[in-house]
Amino acid sequence: MLRPRTRQALLLWCFLAPSLAIFLLYRVIPVIWNLVLSFQYWSPLKAAEFAGWDHYEDLWFDDVFWQALWNTLIVIASAPIGIALALGLALLVNADIRGRNVYRTIIFLSYPLMTVAVAIIWRWMFDERVGLINYAARTFDLVDKPIPFLNSFTWALPSVIVANIWQMLGFYMIILLAGLQNVPRELHEAAAIDGAGAWHRFTRITLPLIRPSLFLAFVVGMLNSITSFDLVYVMTGGGPGRATEILVTYIYKLGFVQTKFDDAAAVTIVFFVLLISIAWAANRFTGGNAGAVETE
Amino acid sequence: MGRYPRWPIHFALIGAGIVMLVPFYWVLKTSVSGENIYAYPPSIVPRHIHPFFYIDVWYSIPFARYFLNSVAVSMIAVVCNVAFNALAGYALTHGFRGKNAVMLLFLSCMMVPFQATIIPAYLITGKLGLLDSWLGLALPQCSTIICIFVFKSSFDAVPRSLIDAARIDGLPEWRIIWHIMLPLSRSAIATNVILAFIWSWNNFLWPLIMTRSADMQTLPLGLARFLSYQEDTTGALYAFCIMVLAPGLVLFLMAQREFIQGLTSGATKG
Repeated sequence: MLRPRTRQALLLWCFLAPSLAIFLLYRVIPVIWNLVLSFQYWSPLKAAEFAGWDHYEDLWFDDVFWQALWNTLIVIASAPIGIALALGLALLVNADIRGRNVYRTIIFLSYPLMTVAVAIIWRWMFDERVGLINYAARTFDLVDKPIPFLNSFTWALPSVIVANIWQMLGFYMIILLAGLQNVPRELHEAAAIDGAGAWHRFTRITLPLIRPSLFLAFVVGMLNSITSFDLVYVMTGGGPGRATEILVTYIYKLGFVQTKFDDAAAVTIVFFVLLISIAWAANRFTGGNAGAVETE
Repeated sequence: MGRYPRWPIHFALIGAGIVMLVPFYWVLKTSVSGENIYAYPPSIVPRHIHPFFYIDVWYSIPFARYFLNSVAVSMIAVVCNVAFNALAGYALTHGFRGKNAVMLLFLSCMMVPFQATIIPAYLITGKLGLLDSWLGLALPQCSTIICIFVFKSSFDAVPRSLIDAARIDGLPEWRIIWHIMLPLSRSAIATNVILAFIWSWNNFLWPLIMTRSADMQTLPLGLARFLSYQEDTTGALYAFCIMVLAPGLVLFLMAQREFIQGLTSGATKG
């Protein structure tokens, strides 16, 4: 017979077991396996052999890899644009106006949509001949002739980014709204009585107080845009050329089209290091209390 | 608060609403009329409405089979998510040895996106013999860290005295969860159900990698394949989009109040 305290602890571990098993199988082990695989020559039908830094050296001379890395960085850099837009919307739907719940729902509506379908919709919005965007641009005389957005080396990546922001906007908005609702109203009123203008109140009171939400939105946004595989795969397939190739699509192509699992693992490790360093930088930038947001 | 004109706010929000809704409208319109695929300039209101494209989708692909696969995988994911996350969230409301390590593990796992694990995930699922099966499709999504924290914060809000009273009455832990915690955490459950459903219903990359037979394809795969052999030239493609989007949207609209509530409280207080 175990002591009650020990029994209790044992029971709690049993409660945690299913979740822990899933994360072990699909998060922890894969990260380690990727690391090991990236230092090996290996394919499903071949015995593993030590490769040292060979795969990383290959990447260094691989133009596609650099292009994919660069595109990924651009996509990450676009996350703050979406967050800034969402912050504006969050401030608006936080105002004391009629029907704000309806506005919130409408703006959030694109988040639960299937990304493959979103990609198909936006392929068509950006279409050269019959796309709505070209039609609007031509109606208002913004362009002389239609732009083939998704077949253009200049426009393809921005187009994918626009679709991504469209889908994520509502999600950022909800995160920021939660932060805004925690800002005490009295602070604003007191500052207003002291003669602080709206802009001052926003930069001195609101922004510092919603920092944790901003950080959360940025991390979620970065994770989401860095991994927007579905959008790229369906909208452009990485093309034209490699103009919209991002690291995730490159990993997929290396691994599951060319069956070079070991090379793909090396790209994954680079991808992972990039991810961690950006999250770390964002954490520093917002005051280094990200852990506090989640654990409290 | 203060007095300021409301109309600029409405004006801006209506503008944003239009940007969010126009793509929906456009797809819906084309799915029932087939306009705007060739026609230029486009017409704003559909001229002739007919259900032809929906019937076309039904007969030109095994829609029912894809639908069944998607529903089965999503059901497994939803049931496992609610059960596992509630248990884990409940455990985390207690203090026990090793809790900090578990928290640290969860928080670091949050930073590992699924896309960064696809190669080992594929190999592991192969070793488990689950490639090309419903369970294998659902397994990586059977527990999610964000949802564990949503449950934890909801359970934290339950008054301590209630739990202590139940303990004194000799209620075992699992019955405390079932009879006290869960009935008081409706919005956490709604959040879990919706997120788990949306994530598995919309998942594309994982089924793309691990399904082999045509019989195991889910709706997103079917949609992407449909696009690849039809190109953007038929209203059926857009009818297919509507048929695929509808279930997620209906579920979301049914529970959106609880969902947004659960999400906001979980995101900040987690």
